[in-house]
Amino acid sequence: MSEIQDQIFSVSEITKSLKFILESTFEKISIEGEISNFKAHGSGHWYFNLKDEGAVINCTMWKGVNNYVFFTPEDGMKIIVTGRITVYPPRGSYQIDVRSMKPAGVGELQAAFERLKKKLFEEGLFDEESKKAIPTFPKKIGMITAADGAAVKDMISVAERRFPLVELLIAPTKVQGAGAAENIVENIRKLNLLKDIDVIILARGGGSIEDLWAFNEEIVARAIYKSKIPIISGVGHEVDFTIADFVADLRAPTPSVAMELATPDIEELKNFIKDSYSLSCDIIGRTLENYRTELEDQISSYAFRYPLEKIRKYSQMVDLNLYKLVKEIEKRILSASNRISLLSKSLEAHDIDKTLKKGFTLIKQNSKLITRKNNFNIAAPSTIKFYDGEIEIK
Amino acid sequence: MSKKKSSDNFEDKLARLEEITTSLENSEIGLEESIQLFEEGVKLSKECLSVLEKAELKVTTLKKDLSEINNLEDD
Repeated sequence: MSEIQDQIFSVSEITKSLKFILESTFEKISIEGEISNFKAHGSGHWYFNLKDEGAVINCTMWKGVNNYVFFTPEDGMKIIVTGRITVYPPRGSYQIDVRSMKPAGVGELQAAFERLKKKLFEEGLFDEESKKAIPTFPKKIGMITAADGAAVKDMISVAERRFPLVELLIAPTKVQGAGAAENIVENIRKLNLLKDIDVIILARGGGSIEDLWAFNEEIVARAIYKSKIPIISGVGHEVDFTIADFVADLRAPTPSVAMELATPDIEELKNFIKDSYSLSCDIIGRTLENYRTELEDQISSYAFRYPLEKIRKYSQMVDLNLYKLVKEIEKRILSASNRISLLSKSLEAHDIDKTLKKGFTLIKQNSKLITRKNNFNIAAPSTIKFYDGEIEIK
Repeated sequence: MSKKKSSDNFEDKLARLEEITTSLENSEIGLEESIQLFEEGVKLSKECLSVLEKAELKVTTLKKDLSEINNLEDD
């Protein structure tokens, strides 16, 4: 030790020694602390401080390495990091090169969950009014889920049983671990680019809170909220509630139930169709029966049974009227002709009287007037008519 | 306008079937129209049932890039 005390170091020399000592001594250490000043840089690297009541230490987590973190770190979260101490001579600083990190306890995740839930609730992401309606008869369902899990098999068999009319489009998705949230977000975006997806099911089978954590990430919540296609969430088991469940347009307790909620039941549809059919048959049968009864009533009526009765009755009426008419006309003609002859007689008489008064006479033979010389019979008796009387000549 | 037009869409057919049944129940309509509606209803019931009987679930997988999918929206 005394050797070191007497030795004079350059800054570089002592820093080099410190670097060697620190880096070789603390090659793999785990530290528990609270995150502060967390920054996810555009380059993909993370920079943050880890602190407790008495001290602060700088931390870096490089791009690539931080891909394996299943949750998004945030200020105030208590975590345990594992890594090594590195010294950076140009700045005379030391830091932790973090290789991995995990929440200091399940309580930490629970707390992060509650914080995000409160924040998104206050922003209105859970509002009932902004929830989109789930179509009754989907033609195509997009499924954001692991391609090889039990969940996808369960959902396919539910669709098969309930509504084989539908088409399923599986978007194979990482639903657990680092990068899962980003993958979910990406697939929500992709399915929204397709114009024929009627509803999306976002699903994952059961697991621990860490396994389901992707569904509690803020980016997933915002992607669900932004989706133009309605989303049904079916994550974990009955008891698991994730942030995704709160934002989704409809929450199902499990993947299978999500598919049930997304599809109508074919048996119910068949029954509906059969019921409609038999109801229609009943109604049309009844209608026809009613018309038939009415028709029979008409046919069996008096008028139809004795069709000539009516004709005869009318015919008789016509005859009677015709007879009356003829009689009346005859009567009128007779009276008119009587009147005419009376008038003509008096007219005639009036004319002859005038002529006789002037001194003319009329000669009658055999009561006929003789008006031409040739008609006169010299041997026959004649009557000469004067104005004032007649003379018989024998 | 769409009253008479029977669509290929299952949902539309089902809706039309419901409409027909409701119309038939309405006693205001005449015999000829009743029979017409009935015939249309029977035809639709058969079509719908046949669609359901013949249905086979189709499952496809979304590719990594969307290049194979040709029905992208314009924007």
